[in-house]
Amino acid sequence: MKIGAIAGITFKEAKRDRILYLLFFFAALGIVASRVLAILTVGDRIKIIKDVGLASISVFGVLMAILIGTGLVYKEIDKKTIFTLLSKPLHRAEFILGKFLGLVLTLFVMTLGMSLIFLAIVYAHTLKVEGALFVAVGYIFLELVLITAVAILFSSFSTPILSSLFALAFYLIGHLSWGLELILKKMAPGPGKSLVRALYMVLPDLENFNFKTEVVHGLPIPPGIYLSSFLYGVCYTAFILGLAVLVFRRRDFI
Amino acid sequence: MAKGTLAKRGPATLLLVAFLFMSAAAFVALKVRTDKFVRRKLPGSSIIYIPSGKFLKYATFGYRALAADAVYLWAIQYYSTLTIDDRFDHLDHIFAIINELDPRFQDPYEVGALIAVQEAHDVRAAFAILDRGAANNPDQWVYPFNAGHIAMMTLKDFPLAEKYFEQCMNIPGAPDFVARLRANAIFKKGDLKTSWDTWLDIYNKAPDERTKKIASNHLYNVKATIDAAALEDAVAKYRQRFGRPPADLGALVGAGLFRELPKDLDGRDYVYDPATGKVKTVISPWKR
Repeated sequence: MKIGAIAGITFKEAKRDRILYLLFFFAALGIVASRVLAILTVGDRIKIIKDVGLASISVFGVLMAILIGTGLVYKEIDKKTIFTLLSKPLHRAEFILGKFLGLVLTLFVMTLGMSLIFLAIVYAHTLKVEGALFVAVGYIFLELVLITAVAILFSSFSTPILSSLFALAFYLIGHLSWGLELILKKMAPGPGKSLVRALYMVLPDLENFNFKTEVVHGLPIPPGIYLSSFLYGVCYTAFILGLAVLVFRRRDFI
Repeated sequence: MAKGTLAKRGPATLLLVAFLFMSAAAFVALKVRTDKFVRRKLPGSSIIYIPSGKFLKYATFGYRALAADAVYLWAIQYYSTLTIDDRFDHLDHIFAIINELDPRFQDPYEVGALIAVQEAHDVRAAFAILDRGAANNPDQWVYPFNAGHIAMMTLKDFPLAEKYFEQCMNIPGAPDFVARLRANAIFKKGDLKTSWDTWLDIYNKAPDERTKKIASNHLYNVKATIDAAALEDAVAKYRQRFGRPPADLGALVGAGLFRELPKDLDGRDYVYDPATGKVKTVISPWKR
């Protein structure tokens, strides 16, 4: 109940943030501009529209999660409103979870808005609604949920600028960590390889949520990976949120 | 009061730490499980949309050399992944990007050409890469040299080999043996007169006895080839006139086809085989 209240306030606060609408505007512009780019191509225009559209949803969604998420907890501390909140019978974990869910709700609405524009553009070209696109968008949203948790984790102990950098680094690492698998294959057994393997296991693998290529090209996706990737995202998010709660519980505001 | 708070916080913190360990164990296990799914990819799909280096260099924000390093490292991994069947389809495009980003980065020219010839069996791509190397690095003799070597050994295009070796020779620092390779290419393309003149020039300008000996052997070979061709031509005329091959080369003089028989560079007679009509030297030119 308390989590719901915090989430509701966070949602109201986030939707008043002008940067959200600025990013939404650019995302919509990107999706609509995919039509222009498609005109410039020779061959499959719809492929360009899908690629640019899905990329716009993903990139601007991540920017929303990072730019808003990193300021959420910090603002409360900076403006000292945290004292009023924590003087109430409210656990710090409830505060963090409420903030998280509020931003997730905001991102859900934004992703829904961007997806509707995207699907409308695709529909205008193909005259059909492709179910596979929902899969790609769904997993982009799952990635945004994880990035939101990361942004809140950093926001709980750092300034918004540093938190944004850390969260962005997390995002980049998450999309490049598959390279470690390649390195592992070429490494001789030893402590170095064990270290790289441990890193490979612990570092986020955001490619697990990336079904854009398969969806755009109509490639078959192994059915089991849906559940596995979904649970991976849920568990990783839970871990990051747990870490955020642990850090926030130990913070002294005086 | 403080003690009470700590006591109150203790189990909750332990619970939280336990939760963290459990969730970490869960996502690691799920990571292992998810990795087991084989996701299909479009062959070469990761590279076909890479833009030209001309455009890419503006997107590197001044880190062109670093971007070239990154693409080169990636290319090495990509071309050594044997499971990508059509990995060579965009070979020239990929190396053109690296060359465009960092034109003075030498390794990609040589390695790209090597991959093109040895792995992709695409000599045209190799020439394109090496030509770029030569155009971007006019002080480096190695690119026309490698191109000449490919033209000579793989393509057997001797006029092309001669052109590349000549280009190489004109670059300061090119080794002396390139002139000999060019002379050999001229010989192999069948221009025996120019070949003789070229080898003679090398012989006259030889800086040491070894080079003189090499040039001498080639001059011996060129002369033997010219003489053998003339003798075999005369043998064919003799057969046409008398309906049988000559018993020995002396018969050619008797028939008025030669005023006197030519001898090899060392003054020895050529060996004639009446059964085949072929003429050859007594010893190999390389074992004189």
